[in-house]
Amino acid sequence: MIAVEVKDLWKKFRIYHDRSYSLKETLIFWNRQRVEDFWALKEINLAVPRGTTMGLIGRNGSGKSTLLKVVSRILHPTQGGVAVNGRVSTLLELGAGFHPDFTGLENIYLNASILGLSRKETSRRLEQIVEFAELGDFIDNPIRNYSSGMYVRLGFAVAVHVEPDILLVDEVLAVGDLAFQEKCLNRIQAMQERGVTIVLVSHSPKQVEDLCNYAVWLDQGQICREGPAAEVAGAYTAFMKSLAH
Amino acid sequence: MWQRIKEIYQFREMLRHLVAKELQSRYKGSVLGFLWTFFNPLLMLVVYSVVFSFVMRSELKDYAMFLFVALLPWNYLSASIMQGAASIVQNAALVKKVYFPREVLPLAVVLTNLVNYVLSLFILIPALLLFQIQLTPALAAFPLILLVQTFLVAGLTFLVAVGNVFFRDLEHITGVLITAWFFMTPVLYGTESMPPQLQAILVWNPATPLMEAYRAVFYYGRWPDWTLLGWLGLAYLGFCLLSMVVFSYFQRSVAEEI
Repeated sequence: MIAVEVKDLWKKFRIYHDRSYSLKETLIFWNRQRVEDFWALKEINLAVPRGTTMGLIGRNGSGKSTLLKVVSRILHPTQGGVAVNGRVSTLLELGAGFHPDFTGLENIYLNASILGLSRKETSRRLEQIVEFAELGDFIDNPIRNYSSGMYVRLGFAVAVHVEPDILLVDEVLAVGDLAFQEKCLNRIQAMQERGVTIVLVSHSPKQVEDLCNYAVWLDQGQICREGPAAEVAGAYTAFMKSLAH
Repeated sequence: MWQRIKEIYQFREMLRHLVAKELQSRYKGSVLGFLWTFFNPLLMLVVYSVVFSFVMRSELKDYAMFLFVALLPWNYLSASIMQGAASIVQNAALVKKVYFPREVLPLAVVLTNLVNYVLSLFILIPALLLFQIQLTPALAAFPLILLVQTFLVAGLTFLVAVGNVFFRDLEHITGVLITAWFFMTPVLYGTESMPPQLQAILVWNPATPLMEAYRAVFYYGRWPDWTLLGWLGLAYLGFCLLSMVVFSYFQRSVAEEI
């Protein structure tokens, strides 16, 4: 069964030139195009079977994050479409929607509701979330007193306890100290074993090789190469080395 | 459309949280805290009573009350639209990072102000009794008037919320327009006291029949005009649904425009 299907996907951004125009110029050049089209994704076709962990690699600006955002429905495709089977949770930015004046506990409920969880579902997972975040007594403090590490730990704890069928991850696995990173990776592996489909954006071919069984290499908005993770990651590493010299 | 409404319903928990957050955090850090929700209308009432009993005497009986029963629902309308205009842009960080039906943001603004309005009744009702204005069973019509008003408020809030993403000047224009609208709406005055030519224009103001209905049930102790209210309900519901259609079309590119 296919968990995520991307069909002939194109995504165009309009780039505004942020130069300020005087009133005179505005009036004179009224019809002149001040917007440029930029195709961030071109003709992407993908089918991710259920239970697969797919890695997206590529250079900066190759369209990895854009693809992830289109799959998570944050962005709307210009052309083509995405079909998703199951509940999606996105780890784009940890703790998006946290409110600094509320306590950690209140923010767990708030954040979980933004990810689409009901109060009952959150209450059931509360203990696990609190334990996972390792915040101790800080859980009852307003989170404006948190360190940035505590902040992301709480965000990660909520996001991974949504128990999604499909998890979309964008470069957030490098949070907290080494021990917490280890824990995050373990958690990801546990999810893999439970059959969760994961799409993961990474800069590191090593991480893709370790975590994924399939990989897609994007370059300038197009699929440059796809296949077994080790193979694609290897080719990408070789390519990057050739660039550095 | 139906699909969309179902999806918003699925995110009701988020809506609830946003409303609670807004209600709590508005006065967070202030000494009186949540009590300000009541103090605000109370102080407003005191100011108006003093001004219109001692400074500017009005020939209308209990003018402060006459004003107050219309001013509270007006504040519900104007505050919703003004805050609604900024609702999506202000939450840019969230909109860019998480998927949820974007309707939730303006809806949360409307519901927050709705709750505020309903809570202000705890000041209004005692005040009416204090001024010895007869409370009648006509008050039973209040929830219905409120519902009709909410359709109008929600419809307008949806439009300004999504419109402001593409045209930021809207937020500022809205402020001016609302002020102009305020003076064209019978809040400070009653429709009856206007010259007939002006009355003919006031009828077309969508807020006029609402203010008159509120005044009927609270101030005059009369039932509202049912036929009018029924038609208004239908019209504003239609308007609200239309706004949602417009909203759901434009919300697709919201994340890349803010």
